[in-house]
Amino acid sequence: MQTKESVYKRPRNLPHNRVLSGGTSMCAGCGGLQAIHAIYDILGTNTVTVNAAGCMSLLSIYPFTPFSGSWLFTAMASAPAGAQGVRDALNRRLSKKRLQGEDDLQVVVLTGDGSANGMGLSATSGTIDRGLDFLYICYDNEGYGNTGQQFSAATPHGARTTTSKGGQGYCGDKKNLFNIWKANSPTYLATVCGAEPLDLARKIEKAKSLSGPRMIIAFAPCPTGWQFAPQEAINIGKLAVRTGVFPLKEYYEGKVQHTAVQGKRLPVVDYLEKQGRFSHLFRTENEYLIKEMQAEIDTYWSCVKRDRTKE
Amino acid sequence: MYRIRFHGRGGQGMKMASHILGTALFLADFEVQDAPRFGAERRGAPIFAYVRADTKIINERGIITSPDLVVVADESLVALPQAGVLVGVEEHTVLFIASREDSVVWQQRLMLVSPVLSMDVIGKDLTGSEGQKFFGTICAGAAAALTGLVERQHLEEAIETELKQFSLAILAENRTRALAAYDAMALHQGLVVEGKSRSADDYQRPEWVIVPSDGSHISAPAIHGSGTSALAQTGTWRLVRPQIDTAKCKGCWWVCSTFCPDSAIEVIDHKPQIQYDHCKGCMVCMVQCPARAISQVDEKEAVIS
Amino acid sequence: MMRKMLTGNVSAAWGARLANIDYLPAFPISPQTELIETVAEWVDTKVLDATMVTLESEHSMLTAAGAAAVAGVRVFSATSSQGLLYGMEMLYAIAGWRAPLVLVNVSRGVGAPITLEPDHNDVLAARDSGFLQIHCATCQEVLDSVLLAFRLAEDLRVRLPVIVNMDGFYLSYTREPVVIPDHELSGKYVGEYDPGSMFFSANAPISTAVAVLGGESYSYFRYELHRAAEKALNVYDEVAAEFETLFGRSYESIEAYRSEDADFLFVMIGSFATKAKEAVDQLREAGHKVGLLRLRLFRPFPAERLVQLSKGKKGIAVIDQNISFGRGGVLYTEVAASLYGTVQSQPLLTSYIGGLGGRDISSEEFFEIAAELRRACRTGVVPEMRLLYTAKELAGMRKLQGIAGGTQYGGRF
Repeated sequence: MQTKESVYKRPRNLPHNRVLSGGTSMCAGCGGLQAIHAIYDILGTNTVTVNAAGCMSLLSIYPFTPFSGSWLFTAMASAPAGAQGVRDALNRRLSKKRLQGEDDLQVVVLTGDGSANGMGLSATSGTIDRGLDFLYICYDNEGYGNTGQQFSAATPHGARTTTSKGGQGYCGDKKNLFNIWKANSPTYLATVCGAEPLDLARKIEKAKSLSGPRMIIAFAPCPTGWQFAPQEAINIGKLAVRTGVFPLKEYYEGKVQHTAVQGKRLPVVDYLEKQGRFSHLFRTENEYLIKEMQAEIDTYWSCVKRDRTKE
Repeated sequence: MYRIRFHGRGGQGMKMASHILGTALFLADFEVQDAPRFGAERRGAPIFAYVRADTKIINERGIITSPDLVVVADESLVALPQAGVLVGVEEHTVLFIASREDSVVWQQRLMLVSPVLSMDVIGKDLTGSEGQKFFGTICAGAAAALTGLVERQHLEEAIETELKQFSLAILAENRTRALAAYDAMALHQGLVVEGKSRSADDYQRPEWVIVPSDGSHISAPAIHGSGTSALAQTGTWRLVRPQIDTAKCKGCWWVCSTFCPDSAIEVIDHKPQIQYDHCKGCMVCMVQCPARAISQVDEKEAVIS
Repeated sequence: MMRKMLTGNVSAAWGARLANIDYLPAFPISPQTELIETVAEWVDTKVLDATMVTLESEHSMLTAAGAAAVAGVRVFSATSSQGLLYGMEMLYAIAGWRAPLVLVNVSRGVGAPITLEPDHNDVLAARDSGFLQIHCATCQEVLDSVLLAFRLAEDLRVRLPVIVNMDGFYLSYTREPVVIPDHELSGKYVGEYDPGSMFFSANAPISTAVAVLGGESYSYFRYELHRAAEKALNVYDEVAAEFETLFGRSYESIEAYRSEDADFLFVMIGSFATKAKEAVDQLREAGHKVGLLRLRLFRPFPAERLVQLSKGKKGIAVIDQNISFGRGGVLYTEVAASLYGTVQSQPLLTSYIGGLGGRDISSEEFFEIAAELRRACRTGVVPEMRLLYTAKELAGMRKLQGIAGGTQYGGRF
């Protein structure tokens, strides 16, 4: 499926210099920031990042920016439309020779799950309809993190947030953004996790090599909103993959392929017990919720074909 | 009017401390206003909260610029200019610092005429390493005594009100420490005196300027440099720091650096180097290092050594 | 009745609870989040019997709010700044529907540059939407105003939505002692929700919010909003008087503080006006006859009362926590429009812009504004509109600009 041989064969091939500067106001142990810098390492600085309101809007606070490429904050609902404007303007300048080919930029949208699953969805769908040449990155910390972790459409069933404090946590289910985007038929679509940097690097490398709408959902463990010690940020990501909670997969040329299928998946409790937002699930009366979660994960993976795996 | 300012780090319970003192003063029949000061900063970053108390309705609002009492939950903040601990401190301002060093040491170090008190008088068993997470309530208890406006029972009731969402055990731990701090400050009950209100007769005229009309190339909120956030010293947020044992480091050249969320580990010639200007002390690197070459040390001790 | 330490956000939530709301469509935005978190917890723990739903945006939130109100239930919602502006289309629509809901706005400066701290450009952008506007200065007032607002909105003579405005952080996250009125009494004050002619039912079909063709119908319907808003002035006085009788707290459309014998007045809206009160006390102590007018009601604009209260004054300094680019303060232009041609000897007017994006206004600045006003009245020379901004602040800004554009950091300038 890989169009070209990846340069990221082994961990030692990963970039070892960070392109994104330190000194940002993200929380200590921010899993989203870690994933973003890993992505930025591959994308490089010939990029313009078009941002929607969310935690990452605070990456650039006057006069400080961690980016060595360009940045445009738009609004919560319309970052993809901002990307449309930027791409169109760059194309116009290219065609009029007002911009040299080597000065062209990759247009990247950066939004949180709140915008991506909610008010930004319409603008995103429109951008895919129009076949915009851009890369969309949704860092998914499963709630409105920047305002203190209220539930969003990406919050998993049962998680406690500041607007779902009832005994069973959030009553809704995490929206299947991957499938919604897939139904719009983008050029490329993948999920990544910063704790699996090799898989991430290969996918971003591939996305970068393609044109048209390319979509990435990056798992973003949030110590503040999910209530775990900052030092566990990477472990939580690893557990999300190894328990099968967050499937690593990609969609290309009409097919979905899972890029990390575990021989033996860890039980979901291993993932849940490390996070304060799930602590109420361990009360006797909520045991059924954990069972339901495990069953749902098992059903998901029983449908996944085990052939053609990469790792 | 009494004006009290609490300084600490995000996560140290400064909002809680201001709420405990605020409620205690309210129970003691004062008009009260309390508020935390929010910013873009997160856990570990310097933050502050404030409390105003008066016998009449409080019309003053916003940040306290001339405090009567400054309470510092984290002594490392005193030396940080951006924490603003000493802003507006006048001769009458009392300082309480949650430090195990002697009050006299602090007074000399800061070269202040103002009275400075430290935590040294409170028993070590309450303020030892386990006690650190209770510095917020210790500060609230000490402040309550220093104002001389709050009875012991008001403080007790305030703690019960403000910590009611926690378990009884946690509540008890907090209560014990707050009351111990209150009792330890008995000698200094009422040391804090009310600041004067501003006089409209004799005031310093504001140095207003006519803001010039600049070109849009500088008057729009655009940053024309790259990577300028490197100038922001988020290393000051750190409570603990990672240290690399170079003998144990296998030079894998990617694990700690890739997993550090803050781009704070640079790999030079296969050897990782931690950029302490930006490291927030999340300790992800320690947990991920396959060779276990990274250990955790207390920031204060690291700075001293 | 209880007296408790409450933030502005929690006070607003209490107002909604005591008003027995049926429905709260929500979307989180700083610095309003604590408000919806509080209501969510009450709904989750069944302390409050209301339906709450988190929408995917403020545009949808306000659409749901208006729709529920015309479907026949009591609706409360809350937002701030960018959210208010994102829902702006629906503000105009909801007012046109004559949907009598109450919306709390937690004021916050509008981007760009995006900020979290307060000023009034967000709520004043909604000035011409048809929503009535009540501006609060204390947490107590926030709670009480929510109750008042429901009465005003639902009055059959008015039937217009109302915004209750509080300043972000200075009220929303600041605790003050707040009297929580008795639930039964406040329930009695607000009354049962009367949907009037506006509710959906199989036995009484209505097609509402319909289109028009031609300016005659459009002019009529839009002007009717104005007529209703005009009527709201008297209705406000009525419901405020009734509130005072029941609860003992007075909320006149303009709060006049030490203004009666004053020669000079400050005119302001919002919580920064309490700072002006403090300054008035200090100026009085120094022998200056200064008072304060704080407008609680901004739409409808209590022009007549403003004219009355301004009679015989030498000078008025209007301090705006907002700016209309290319003109100046919005409150200033409204005050000037109200006074022009009405008072025999017109007071001299000066204009200041202060507190943008949460920038504090110091006592010294109030003293100096009063001094400039006295000087202007003496000399007849009116100073130009001024932004409250110091040399030190500008120097600090220059430093930041050096980093943002400086070539030493790889920049262009």
